[in-house]
Amino acid sequence: MPISTFMGLHTSLRGLLAQQRALDVTSHNVANASTLGYSRQEAVVQASGALAVPPAGMLGTGVDVISYRRIRDGFLDLQYRAQNMQTGYGTARTGALEQAEMRLAEPGDNGIAARLNSFWSSWSDVANAPESGAARIALIADARTLVASINALDDGFETVQAQAAQELALLTGDGGALEGMARELASLNSAIRDFQRVGAQPNDLLDRRDLLLDKLSSLAQVSVTDDGAGSIRVTLGGAAAPLVDGSTITWPAPAMPSPGGKIGALMDVSSSTGTIAAYRAGLATFAQALTTQVNAVYSPAAGMSFFAYDAATATLSLNPAVTGATLKAGSGSAPGANDVAIALSELRGKPGGPDDAYAQLVTRVGTEVADARRTTLNATALKNAIEDRRQSTAGVSLDEEMTSLIRFQRGYQAAARAMTTTDSLLDTLINRTGRVGL
Amino acid sequence: MSTSRITSSMIHRGVLADLNDIATRVSRTQLKLSSGKEILRPSDDPFGAGRALGLRSELDGLGQYRRNAADADGWTTATETALGTITDIAQRARELLLRGANGTTSPVERETIAKEIDQLIGSTKDTMNSTYAGRSLFGGTETATKPYGSASDAYLGDGGDIVRSVGPGVTLIVNTRGTDVVGDGTDGKLLNTLRDIAAHLRGTTPADSAALGSSDIVAIDRSLDAVLDARAQVGAIARRVASADWRLAELEENVRGLLSQTEDADMAATLVDYSMQQSVYQSALRAGANIVQTSLLDFLR
Repeated sequence: MPISTFMGLHTSLRGLLAQQRALDVTSHNVANASTLGYSRQEAVVQASGALAVPPAGMLGTGVDVISYRRIRDGFLDLQYRAQNMQTGYGTARTGALEQAEMRLAEPGDNGIAARLNSFWSSWSDVANAPESGAARIALIADARTLVASINALDDGFETVQAQAAQELALLTGDGGALEGMARELASLNSAIRDFQRVGAQPNDLLDRRDLLLDKLSSLAQVSVTDDGAGSIRVTLGGAAAPLVDGSTITWPAPAMPSPGGKIGALMDVSSSTGTIAAYRAGLATFAQALTTQVNAVYSPAAGMSFFAYDAATATLSLNPAVTGATLKAGSGSAPGANDVAIALSELRGKPGGPDDAYAQLVTRVGTEVADARRTTLNATALKNAIEDRRQSTAGVSLDEEMTSLIRFQRGYQAAARAMTTTDSLLDTLINRTGRVGL
Repeated sequence: MSTSRITSSMIHRGVLADLNDIATRVSRTQLKLSSGKEILRPSDDPFGAGRALGLRSELDGLGQYRRNAADADGWTTATETALGTITDIAQRARELLLRGANGTTSPVERETIAKEIDQLIGSTKDTMNSTYAGRSLFGGTETATKPYGSASDAYLGDGGDIVRSVGPGVTLIVNTRGTDVVGDGTDGKLLNTLRDIAAHLRGTTPADSAALGSSDIVAIDRSLDAVLDARAQVGAIARRVASADWRLAELEENVRGLLSQTEDADMAATLVDYSMQQSVYQSALRAGANIVQTSLLDFLR
């Protein structure tokens, strides 16, 4: 079979075009070097179909770009999302617990411990001067301040819960971030499926979908199954039904038994059985202990209670009948009697007393905040390590792209030179052949 | 790093994460230095924070016990002063009694002596009505009432104790009751004795004169002993208060030391940490600037 005279030109043209495409891909990589979620791409080239030239064999005809490949490791994505969920959970939890810790205002002069100390000291002052109106009024004022700061701390904890609940509602409510992501995933699914149906590989859409899944994984535990035709099914937090299935979404989001991520942390913080609720229970135990132990000493002598604690509303109050005038410093009616005041002042620092109950609460909050912070730091470090590995595969290395740029530029120049050479062969054939004697 | 390809975003992220990490540590050390505290929040050292709460409460309690001891000290000092006066009165009465008991003393002179004894009875009651910070010293817990009225020698206070707490579970009775010192006019104590002496001085029977020389001397000595006993007791209480205060001061010092160890920053160590972190931070910044600047682009022409 004869070979066309012009075949060399075509072969060179293929080379030129392939180098040009590769250069385009390199430019695309460089342009997206800092784009979030971008995976580097490469033009996959392959020698084009050879011509059989008997008896010599097969003659190559140049090169073709067969696809533009996205370089990415799906297994690293899975690892990244698992750690990202831990980080999301830890960050949200640490934030909420740190707020609770801040409201304790310990150690310091404005915390409940300081108020409690001055309450006990006031009882001692009354014991030293049971006849003194000033000491009694100071005691009543200290008791009021103590009551107010205990109630304020409970309100503070409640606010932390309420804020978490509000953030959760913003995130998972109608029109919230979660719904937005689900809808975008569904529309990306259908776009990707349409491209793949006609054999195209929509790399940049795939990147966007992967980025969206990364973001989603910080909110809750994500599990993804690929239907093989370009669509994915996304299930959140171990729910029974998928949130996104192809181009349809289930909204409101199906109930999540094990949410994880930021949603899981917010659910725990705002829940009535969660971490902050446990702090409030600890505070209630302390307020209850204070009420019981003070009343146990005060009531028999005075015939009335000193504190009252309402467990239903978690409110501590000072008996309004206790005033500077009615306050009893001692049993009996003698103005100098101070046995009650002394007994109450000795509740200070008593093992199993109110101070103990409060110190337990503070230690508990401190331990859990420190723990949450440490766990978050670990999860973040792991996430970063995986992100490094992922970037090592999928990230754009400018040095590498510069090298590719030179490689493809030289390839282009060489192909052009081959074309020029073929051209000059043809010039010899067409313009110089058969001109003997002319 | 085991990875083979190092991409620009990895370098950027790494540099940024390291800088953040170091900056966080620097700012934390700075906070330690400026506050002088090791524990700024319970989570910095949960166990230490709980311990610090306990120690602070103990320290506050010790300070309060020392204030209680100071009040007890004031109370015993005032009591001691009053009892000193009573002793002087009793001794003066004894001198007068000896002069009155002398057979050569004329009835007119005896009347003069009897009048002075009457005065001494008045001063005794006035002294026993002395107050400390507005509270009657010798009336038991009836601190608002004067224990002796002008009309009779009856004791108007009660048998209650004034108690000061000077340590965990350590209480001291700081008051002395009037009945224990001068009695209630019927029990053979000072007031009773003085009344008897005045009556005998004014009496005209030989029995009166005899009593002045014998039973009254015995009675006034016994009354003086009761006053001195009371003084000894007050002295003992004062010593206990002083020793309690001394012990409290020592404890306070110890607890303050423990608290400082628990929650105060070790300034020398923190300063060394700080300068080390500063230099690490600066070198990280310099390295970051250099790494981020260069790429192959700088060398291609």
